[in-house]
Amino acid sequence: MKPKFLIAAGLAIAALAAFPLASGNPYYIHLVETIMIYAIVLFGLDIVVGYTGQVSLGHAGLFGIGAYTAGVLVLKLGASIWLTLPAAIALTAAFGALLALPALRVTGPYLAMVTLAFGTIIQILINEMSFLTEGPMGITLTKPSLFGHQLDETEFYWVVAAMLLASLVFVHRVLRSHLGRAFEALRGSPVASDCMGVSVYRYKVYAFVISAGLAGLAGALYAYSEQYISPNTYNFEQTVLFLLAIIMGGRKTRTGALLGAAIIVMLPKLLDDLEMFRIVSVLLALIVAVASAVALKRGKSSLQAALIPVVGSVALAGLSFKLQTMTDWRLSVFGLITLFVVYYLQDGIVGFVRNALNLRGHAASDADSAAQLPAGADALSKAGGATSQGATLLEASKVLMQFGGLKALNEVDLSIKRGSIHGLIGPNGSGKSTMMNVLTGIYVPTAGAVSFAGAALAGRTSSDIALSGIARTFQNVQLFGEMTALQNVLVGLHHSFRSNLLDVALHLPRYLRENHQASARAFGLLRFVGLEQLAGEEARNLPYGKQRLLEIARALALDPQLLLLDEPAAGLTAPDIKELLAIIQKIREHGVTVILIEHHMDVVMSLCDTVSVLDFGQKIAEGLPAAVQADEKVIEAYLGGQAA
Amino acid sequence: MQILTQLVFSGIALGMIYAVIAFGYQLTFATSDTLNFGQGEALMLGALVGLSAVGFGINYWLMIPLVCLFGAIQGAVVERIGVRPAIKMKSEFGWIMSTIALGIIFKNVAENVWGRDDLKFPSPLPEAPMHFLGANILPMEVLVVVGALLMMLSVEFFNRRSIYGKAVVATFNDRDAAKLMGINTGLVITFSYALSSLTAAFAGVLIAPLTLTGATMGSVLGLKAFAVAIIGGLTSGMGIVVGGVILGVAETTTGFYISTGYKDVPGLVLLLIVLALKPAGLFGKTAIKKV
Repeated sequence: MKPKFLIAAGLAIAALAAFPLASGNPYYIHLVETIMIYAIVLFGLDIVVGYTGQVSLGHAGLFGIGAYTAGVLVLKLGASIWLTLPAAIALTAAFGALLALPALRVTGPYLAMVTLAFGTIIQILINEMSFLTEGPMGITLTKPSLFGHQLDETEFYWVVAAMLLASLVFVHRVLRSHLGRAFEALRGSPVASDCMGVSVYRYKVYAFVISAGLAGLAGALYAYSEQYISPNTYNFEQTVLFLLAIIMGGRKTRTGALLGAAIIVMLPKLLDDLEMFRIVSVLLALIVAVASAVALKRGKSSLQAALIPVVGSVALAGLSFKLQTMTDWRLSVFGLITLFVVYYLQDGIVGFVRNALNLRGHAASDADSAAQLPAGADALSKAGGATSQGATLLEASKVLMQFGGLKALNEVDLSIKRGSIHGLIGPNGSGKSTMMNVLTGIYVPTAGAVSFAGAALAGRTSSDIALSGIARTFQNVQLFGEMTALQNVLVGLHHSFRSNLLDVALHLPRYLRENHQASARAFGLLRFVGLEQLAGEEARNLPYGKQRLLEIARALALDPQLLLLDEPAAGLTAPDIKELLAIIQKIREHGVTVILIEHHMDVVMSLCDTVSVLDFGQKIAEGLPAAVQADEKVIEAYLGGQAA
Repeated sequence: MQILTQLVFSGIALGMIYAVIAFGYQLTFATSDTLNFGQGEALMLGALVGLSAVGFGINYWLMIPLVCLFGAIQGAVVERIGVRPAIKMKSEFGWIMSTIALGIIFKNVAENVWGRDDLKFPSPLPEAPMHFLGANILPMEVLVVVGALLMMLSVEFFNRRSIYGKAVVATFNDRDAAKLMGINTGLVITFSYALSSLTAAFAGVLIAPLTLTGATMGSVLGLKAFAVAIIGGLTSGMGIVVGGVILGVAETTTGFYISTGYKDVPGLVLLLIVLALKPAGLFGKTAIKKV
């Protein structure tokens, strides 16, 4: 695979480089150049949209900032390309950080509107700040010179191609590293990310900054490529076009970004050529009709559902013969394509082909290669720190958690001994999970104090608390669904990486070593919970019981001193529960303290050293399992009071 | 001082328009947690259809119900094509992109039907300003304020008093439970979109005589109305009126004292700041996240 891949890549690069010489037509050279520039923007946009799952409508604005940074520097200072490109990247990245600030607080439609507002403001500022940007007049500039030599169209094409390759390698490496996994984890489950020590705040900002930097680079190249920039290029339609390119090409793939860029650059040209458009639209209608017929025949689709795209595409084809000029209807066609892609091509063209051919992504092959790594002595060995058994590890005193008038926890005290398994039981709604959320910093208690290993938890973020040694699983499983089992565990191992962006981008030895160690350890942890066969499987495809085990493996990757298990046996079959018991025992033997919330009394009674019972937010009993089991208050809480 | 009063009055009129559009956002958000990103385009279409109707010789006041009907149909279409499939797929990205796409299509169609130039909408009321507190007020501005308030009050009244309104409120509170109680929640959502576009179209014909009418009039209005919806909170009726007035006045004063080119900036900056500091809005309640 590897040498084959290298040969293919070499051929592609050679073809790209030879294109201007072979074609010789400046129009086509410029066209391909534009595609490459858009592809750089899309690599960046994909980080935000595809990986972190945020909708950004501000990327045209960022693209514009890059273009105008280059334009203004050339206009006012006559700066060289050595200055303009880094300046464009740095300034746009700074704006990306600014854009990320509201993104920290909001998601989804709110974020879409915020980024839209941001893009609009940028366009207004470019228009109005005439003293800097020449306003609506725009800026005219020439192709840059390199080493005292004025570049011509072909030579600049090579500069763009080199930049494209550099961006491609950079983005690809970043996204396959722990940074990329952190981005993807944000999308899968922000809460779980925080509880794995991956700060949602920090990595959202990173994602926006990297994404913006690429948009800035592309913008600067675009300014040189067009040799003229004006505010109206960087408008709302441009942003939507970028988004369309990402979803149409395919999220989370570099091929998809390249393909998407090619489509959005070629499509307007196609619409200008009416004959061509008619042919293409008829072909499209045919393909859609055949595809729908096949889907219908295989019973994958209902008549009504299958009819909509067919009618739509036939209408489009009919329209193309009716209209005399398509140029005016360009945006409507883009709109229709967007609708089509959103509903019928969600994984994009690349995803569609991949599904159809059953190709496996990088993630799955990564899992295969991790399996080849030599197994470490014991994946759990780092955990624990078996010092001073029996000392108090966690102390919660008078914790009060109030939601409106409801006291979910009412002055609860909890003291956990190091090295013990502490059961937390109680009827539904008694405040057990609320306690977990308080201990992991997801809820800030209304009153009371919690201290862990001698340090107070008050005022610390979830990710900080996680890094200090508290790991957890969730009652309703919070895995990173689109990531493989191995990747899920690797997110838990995020804390073991010290590599920075430079290490990752250049594959410096530090990153390679850390990545190697982490992969081996992650696979070891999967083996520990018995999931090694499923390492390359996406988490959302695992059966429920396996998902619970995967959560435990992921939590163990944090090297916790304290592990909170929230109903680990829920939904497990009897043999699975037996396995779980063995796993929890082994975890304890490695010196990890465990708090166990569970409804299966046999599990609680056979494992726990101490049991606390909550009812209506109050602790009603605590002690040895047998004693608690016999406690009258406990029996009353579970079975209801005796008639007096 | 006189100028300032004048600016405040125009600001209030403008703010009421924002409030009406923001009200439309609230309606759909209430039933389905979704928004029409093409809300500004619904307003634009309303204004242009109204203009054509007036052009055919229909009286301004008679034209209003026609435009409202058109708005309702347009809203229902948006819901059926853009929102319903996305809700079914539970895809947030889906409805955001498809309402944006529909907005772009509407705008493009309007450009091709009514042309790219801004048109003058004949004013149904005398254009001579009235004098109040030393400032000049256009009768049309008074109509805008009164009309906008009436519109919002009547919808609120409908929601609170009629059994159909109760269905809307029930759907807002818990979509699944409402469904189990025999409420056709799909229909309620369609209805809320129809109502939402209806208010936007109504706002369009109200504002059109004060500004120029054209295919591009909607986009920025829609965005700024979203700012109002956010400032006021997506669940607070009082909030959007206050938010609308704040934004309207901020805008007219910026336009006068700084530059008309910058008049859209305060609203957008306000939007960014409110979302960065208090995402639930100044009047909204913060929801507790469940884990």
